[in-house]
Amino acid sequence: MLKINDLYVSIGDREILSGVTLEVKAGEIHAIMGPNGSGKSTLAAVLAGRETFTVTKGSAYFMGVDLLALPPEERARLGLFLGFQYPVEIPGLTSVNFMKAAVNEQRKYKHLPPLSAGEFLKLMREKMAVVEMDPAFVGRGVNVGFSGGEKKRNEIFQMAMLEPMLAILDETDSGLDVDALRVVANGVNKLKTKDNAFVVITHYQRLLDYIVPDIVHVLYKGRIIKSGSKELALEVENKGYDHIISGT
Amino acid sequence: MKEYTYMPEVKRVFQCTVPGGNIRQVFLIDGILQEKESEQNGVSLTSGPDGKGLQLRISGDHSENPIQIISVRSEDLPRPLEFYNTWELEPGAKAQIVVCDHTLREYLYQTVRFSNITLGEGAVLDLLFMQNEHGRSRYRLEVDAQLKKEARLDCHILSLYGGTIQNKVTVHLQESGAVCNLDGLYLADGEQNVTYDIEVRHNSGECNSNQLFKGILDEQAKARFDGIIYVAPHAQKTEAFQANHNLLLTRDAKITTLPQLEIYADDVKCSHGATIGSLDPLGLFYMRTRGIPLSEAKMLQQMAFVQDVLEHVRNGAIRSRLEKIVESRLRGEFTKCTHCTMHCC
Repeated sequence: MLKINDLYVSIGDREILSGVTLEVKAGEIHAIMGPNGSGKSTLAAVLAGRETFTVTKGSAYFMGVDLLALPPEERARLGLFLGFQYPVEIPGLTSVNFMKAAVNEQRKYKHLPPLSAGEFLKLMREKMAVVEMDPAFVGRGVNVGFSGGEKKRNEIFQMAMLEPMLAILDETDSGLDVDALRVVANGVNKLKTKDNAFVVITHYQRLLDYIVPDIVHVLYKGRIIKSGSKELALEVENKGYDHIISGT
Repeated sequence: MKEYTYMPEVKRVFQCTVPGGNIRQVFLIDGILQEKESEQNGVSLTSGPDGKGLQLRISGDHSENPIQIISVRSEDLPRPLEFYNTWELEPGAKAQIVVCDHTLREYLYQTVRFSNITLGEGAVLDLLFMQNEHGRSRYRLEVDAQLKKEARLDCHILSLYGGTIQNKVTVHLQESGAVCNLDGLYLADGEQNVTYDIEVRHNSGECNSNQLFKGILDEQAKARFDGIIYVAPHAQKTEAFQANHNLLLTRDAKITTLPQLEIYADDVKCSHGATIGSLDPLGLFYMRTRGIPLSEAKMLQQMAFVQDVLEHVRNGAIRSRLEKIVESRLRGEFTKCTHCTMHCC
């Protein structure tokens, strides 16, 4: 589904990713761990199409399409989703109108007619239930006045609405209390099928108690220095990154 | 009243009716009232002393029955035109007035419209100006409003289209308990030039005023906001707020904003603020990652920016029409109302 080969990425003169190679297949959950500044969020942003970064070398194919040649909206329509570490506030635009625009753009791409108001509200209610979200939120400005936990829940709600093939969740667990973490993780588990895939970026092993990864990667200084089964996450938790870095 | 030959055409062209409520349409063509002077059900409607402009005198509650004043310039050989309106609400009267200013053709019309407004004790006026002419017209609106005890004026100005649009609004809060809410929205592109010159004078204590003016400027458009809140020495317990926010879509668009406070009393609560910014690139990226194309994301961000100004329009039917008009204006489409055959701009 996703094939990244020897990807180098810079911002200005500074190289952030130095040869990342990664393959994600349908039905898999990958976890990417790594210390601060290792390039985790950059990898997520580059895959989603953030223009502040420059790809200097390498390739990324998603569903057989050259991902790096597409603008962010086309990547999204192909089925790529980025759950933001810091979801953006948009005062004046309600979540309802935001999601209506997004869902209908996606339907337009699939040559489907826009959803009627009734169908749309039904879909929203259904997906809000997945993340135990208060329906009052959708009438408010996107992420405006939301707590950290509510913002992350809103990301998972948006993911549920758009049903992506591949979701990259960038530190969705950071800033969450235990209950919110459980709700967010349950949301991911409910949306998991054999046809879609997840890349979960996290600092901590805690999230991986709830979302069990098939493969864990450790990213350090812009390279994946170690990949392994879910036990690798426990090793990170118990012995720290230094141990893994010095062992490679 | 002068017999007017354009009337059949104008009526056919401007078929718009403000949705909801029992609307009364009054036509002014080139400043001349197009119906017989009348006085019924507490609404007196006459021409000004020089045969131009509209004099309204209102008593009783008409808040559910808006009066729409459709003011059109139509001459083939236009000359600068000035006319005076005088609108008076008697004590306790309530009214809703929608003013739609248009031009029938794309000639260089120059129009100055004065509106002197008096609100008696406890009177409530909800006033909306729709400024929708064309890229070559020159338009000036001067409003001077006097508010008596516990009167309330809600005034919304929507500057959609016009070569040069100048708005000068002065509100005098003369007696305690008077409330004035002023909003403005200006959307300008091309070589358009919009100015707002706002003065709210708290001449008495215990009055309240709120101002919210927002603008989106594209291409080489220019705008200027000059707003003063004046609080007289004896006007204690005044509450007065003013905000002006601007979005510039290009490097060539230009805004000058001068928010000012002139306070001579010492027990008041006043604030003012102005901002100038551009579209938020991170917000645009966020929307695009949800599959929304860049052009649509920009559009949504602009609609989000103007939302609070539109929300202040209390009449729901008019507000939803305004939302559509603003959206089509931002999309660069003709900002005509759906029923109207006229391309106003």
